[in-house]
Amino acid sequence: MSNSPGSCAKSEMSFTVNGERKTLVAFPMERLLDVLRQQLGLTGAKEGCGEGECGSCSVLMDGVLVNSCLVPVLQAQGTSIVTIEGLAAGRQLHALQEAFLECGGAQCGICTPGMILAACHLLSKKPEPTLEEIQEGLSGNLCRCTGYLQIFEAVARAAHYGMAQSSS
Amino acid sequence: MRSDPRDYELVAPGSLQAVLALLARNPGEWLAIAGGTDVMVQYAAGKLPARKLISIWNLAELRNIEVRANEIRIGAASTYTDIREHEVIAREFSMLARAAHWTGGIANQNRGTIGGNIVNASPAADSLPALLAYDAELILVSVRGERRLPYAGFHTDYKKTRLAPDELIQAVCLSRRYSGYVCHARKVGSRNAQAIAKVCIAALGRVASGTVEDVRIALGSVAPVPLRLSETERVVTGKVIDESLVSLARKAAVAEIRPIDDIRSTAKYRAAVAGNLVAEFLNLLKDEKDVSNVLRRWNGVPIDDAAAQILPCCGSRAWAREMATRRPFKDEATLLAVSDEMWRNLIASDWMEAFGSHPRIGASSAHGSSAQQSAAWAMQEQKEVADAGDAVKIALAEGNREYEQKFGHIFIVRATGKSAEEILQILRRRLKNDARAELFEAAEQQRQITQIRLRKWLQG
Repeated sequence: MSNSPGSCAKSEMSFTVNGERKTLVAFPMERLLDVLRQQLGLTGAKEGCGEGECGSCSVLMDGVLVNSCLVPVLQAQGTSIVTIEGLAAGRQLHALQEAFLECGGAQCGICTPGMILAACHLLSKKPEPTLEEIQEGLSGNLCRCTGYLQIFEAVARAAHYGMAQSSS
Repeated sequence: MRSDPRDYELVAPGSLQAVLALLARNPGEWLAIAGGTDVMVQYAAGKLPARKLISIWNLAELRNIEVRANEIRIGAASTYTDIREHEVIAREFSMLARAAHWTGGIANQNRGTIGGNIVNASPAADSLPALLAYDAELILVSVRGERRLPYAGFHTDYKKTRLAPDELIQAVCLSRRYSGYVCHARKVGSRNAQAIAKVCIAALGRVASGTVEDVRIALGSVAPVPLRLSETERVVTGKVIDESLVSLARKAAVAEIRPIDDIRSTAKYRAAVAGNLVAEFLNLLKDEKDVSNVLRRWNGVPIDDAAAQILPCCGSRAWAREMATRRPFKDEATLLAVSDEMWRNLIASDWMEAFGSHPRIGASSAHGSSAQQSAAWAMQEQKEVADAGDAVKIALAEGNREYEQKFGHIFIVRATGKSAEEILQILRRRLKNDARAELFEAAEQQRQITQIRLRKWLQG
């Protein structure tokens, strides 16, 4: 009773990416990661392990951190996606991006988009995280260069920027 | 080899009724996919046998947590994040909340669902021992109607379940009757996040008049299915917990599990860990009686005495006063949680007061007035430093001076278990912090010290 190979049809779907409405045609089981990278040209999300272990393909879907390699694109229908490309406002970097630069939180750069989006998700839930909360918030994102300390420091610094902004 | 999306059908009918109708039309042909944290991994590896998938992600009928008078019903498509963040689950079913907490990383917790964890039926699944220990029941649904069955026995063999081809799990039901139980949940794995358990335990029990009145012990990763240790439970029920009983229980546990060698561990290691986890639980159950006594006494003393008694755990008078005001505490976990909450709500001057109650690292007494108990604990905590060589001690003394000049308060670090060299490294790193970052880091260290001291204090 299985489908014969190659028999499934593409379908039209639409969602918002970094604030822009996108309508596209794709196979429903295509991975959100591949659609973002190949159809929409947004190569910030990286493929690391392809099985939800490394976090380098992290994006925000309706404000929630997900591994885009594990999301069939049909499930993104009607949602709002934010990728690393959507974080800066024009030439003005996001506080997290500034902090990563200042603290040396990025080296080879493969994990960086996912790290920043995971941190973004953390700070949206906990604007003043403790070190343990930062470590936990980033625990699904692997980095093989920095040893993590600079990344934790960058997130703490971005949180301070955020607090300074909200109190001024 | 990676799968080709052209070979797979995926539909999202959008309502439970429509999903069930489709499942009933061709039973066994469709595979339900929720957050995809298991299905998409198989798909990526080219190992997904099903070619027709039906999305149940975000179906409102399956993603709700309903609190009733006697039970809580967790919709099968509730995510680990939904479970972690639910107040009643965190309070009454803490082992499930903890399992949700250590599953994968945050992104997986945002997508992985409890129903998916059950149907995927991995013997290593994080949440399943907790469901066994709490005697969960499942509501299964199909166009034929609903049926309710105990979760124990749902897994008939490795990756096999009682779910009919046209059925879905609708909800997991937990009976709200475990107040006063001691519980123990722990995962032993290669690292905290993103690691599958080598062995995990969820166990709860109650002791009355010195004997074990009721006990439930469940383990993951030790058999083809998540396993309730009925024989071990029988061995300890009605008995007084002492060393010989712990030893009998350890043997019974090892006898009834069926661990294997695989990529993550060996049968031998798993058996040793399983025995240790059961022993750890029973010792916790034994000690709980004493903890409750300390807490019960403290709950009853006048407020000023209560504040004075708890002050050695954290030298901020505002914190001690708040803790005394929040009495009575029903258990250790609540006390520890409230302490954290109180600590975070204090102002900087209160934090400074607590910092000032510690002796300098490497010095013998605090420069403020330090209670005897606090001084004794500080000596235990800094034991490694006291035993260190002179060169390290001199470097620490210099670092301390520099630190105090820069930040205006003494250097606080959770010293328990750290060598003098490690502490020196931390001190040197933190000297580079700006004042605000360092205040928060010191406060976090004090929070951890307080937690350690509260636990010692509760032991009397």
